[in-house]
Amino acid sequence: MKEEIKTLLENALPLINPESDFLFAELDSLGVATILLTLSEKYGIRLDHTDATPRNLKNIEALAALVERKLAEKAAGKEK
Amino acid sequence: MEKIEEYLYRNAELYPGKRAVVCGSQELTYSQLLKAVESRAKELRGNGEGNGKPCAMRTVQNSGFLTDYFAIHLIDGIAVPLESNIPQERLKEIERLIAETEAPDKCADILFTTGTTGKSKGVMISHQTIIANGENLVQAQGFSEETDFIICGPLNHIGSLSKIYPVLIAGGTLHVTEGLKEPGAFYRALGNAGRHATFLVPSAIRMLLTFSSEELKKHASALDFIETGAAPISQTDMEELCRILPDTRLYNTYASTESGILCTYNFNPTCGGEECIAGCLGRPMKHSGIFITENGTVACSGKTLMLGYAADRAATESIMKEGILYTNDCGRIDGRGRLHLTGRRDDTINVGGLKVSPVEVENAALSHPSVADCICIAEEHPLLGNQLKLLVVPASGEKFDKREIARHLGSRLESYKIPSLYQRVESIKRTYNGKADRKYYRQKS
Repeated sequence: MKEEIKTLLENALPLINPESDFLFAELDSLGVATILLTLSEKYGIRLDHTDATPRNLKNIEALAALVERKLAEKAAGKEK
Repeated sequence: MEKIEEYLYRNAELYPGKRAVVCGSQELTYSQLLKAVESRAKELRGNGEGNGKPCAMRTVQNSGFLTDYFAIHLIDGIAVPLESNIPQERLKEIERLIAETEAPDKCADILFTTGTTGKSKGVMISHQTIIANGENLVQAQGFSEETDFIICGPLNHIGSLSKIYPVLIAGGTLHVTEGLKEPGAFYRALGNAGRHATFLVPSAIRMLLTFSSEELKKHASALDFIETGAAPISQTDMEELCRILPDTRLYNTYASTESGILCTYNFNPTCGGEECIAGCLGRPMKHSGIFITENGTVACSGKTLMLGYAADRAATESIMKEGILYTNDCGRIDGRGRLHLTGRRDDTINVGGLKVSPVEVENAALSHPSVADCICIAEEHPLLGNQLKLLVVPASGEKFDKREIARHLGSRLESYKIPSLYQRVESIKRTYNGKADRKYYRQKS
C-alpha cells in the first residue's frame, strides 16, 4: 500500500517529496485537501477534517496506517 | 484619518485593553500592539528603512507580520509583502523592480499580482485606498467593535490583507490563522466567544463543505458573516452555505488588487440578503463606481483604485485612463443595479482565487533544457475549480520527467503557479501567426 500511496502522491502533488518524514510541513491547505480527496477516492473511505492532523500526514507510513484504520472501521461497520 | 495606523492610535487610546490580535496562544491588546509597532518602527528606522523606501517582507501568518506592516507605514516606508516561500530567483527579480520604482509620496504598499502578459506586476496602493477599502467594507458588511475576524488566507494577497483595514476602523479583533491546513484550528477559533467573520475563497468553502459540513453547521450561530470572492463560487456551494448557515450573512465580493474592493452582495435570503444567484456581485460600495464598456467589460472608478504599476508606466496607461480602471472581466448590470460577472476576456487562469498567466508558466518551463515547446492550460479540479496542466513537447533526445520540470518551475515561480498535471504531447497547436492556440485547448477541455 505504501508504494501505491507514494505513486498517488507523486501524481497529485509533483512538487512534494513523498519520502519525506516532514510531509505535513511541506503541504499547504490545498495539498492536505488533495491528499484526503485522493485517498478517499482511491480506497473508498470517508475522511474528514479531523483526519487532517500533522500526525496522520507525517509521512507515507502514517498515511498508510490512516487508510488501514479507516478500511478496518469500514469493514466493522463503524465508519463515521 | 489619512493612514490606517491612525486608527491603531485611536483604538489604543479608546480601548487599550481590548484584544487587537489573536494568533494561536498569543494575544495582543491594542495598547500592546501599538507599543510593539512603535518599537519595531524605531528599529526599522535604525536599519535605514522608511522615508518612501520599499521594504520587502516575507509574509508569515502571525502578529509579527502585522507589527512590521504597520511599523513600515509609520515611518513612511512602503510595505512589499511577498509569499513566505518565494523562490530566491523571483525575490531578486522583485528586489530589482522595486529598486527601479519611483513611487509617489502617498504610496503605502506594493502588492505583487499576475499580469496578463506573463510578467508579475507590482501594484502600488495608497494610504487613501487602504482607508477607502476599509470604509467600504465597514459600511457594506457591518464590521463592528464586536467583530472577531478570522484570517484564513495569506496576508500578502488583497483578499486577506484588506480585512485588516475594516477590523481596525471598527475596533474589532483580528484572529490570524495559518489557513485551513488544519481545519481544526479554524473551528477552535470559532469556538471562542465573539461575533466571528471570515474571508474564504471558493475553493476553501468547497474544502469545508467536503470534509466538515457537519462541523460547520455546529458553529453556525458563531458566524456573523462570511465573505467570498477572488474566483467564481458555484450555485450549489452557495445554496449549501445558505442551508447550513441560515443566520449568517454571506457576501460575494468583487475586488482585485488593482481596483480595490468595489461591490459586495449578500446572497443569503434568510439573513437580510437578496436572491442566491451565482455570478452576482451586487452594487458598488460607498467609495466606488462601476460601469460596463462597449466591449462588455467592467470598468471602475473611485477612491479604491491603485496608483499604478511599479516601474511600468506603459502597463498602467494600458488599463487606467482619467481615473477609470478598465478590467478584463466581462459582465452586465441588471435592472436593480447589480453587477453580474460572465467571464474573462484574457487568458488568465484562476486557480483557487489566484490568477495565473499561462505565458509566465510557459516561459519558465521553456527555460528547462528538456522542454522544446509547451502550453499551460486549465483543467477542472474538484476543489480549486481549475488546476494547471502543462502539455510538453520534449526536446529531441531528452527524457520527459514531470517531477524534474515541476522542481525547475518551483525554483522560479510562486507555488500556486506550478502545474499539478503534466502530459507529453507530440506538438502544440498554434494559430496562423505562431501563437499558442489557447481557444482550441479551452474548447477541447
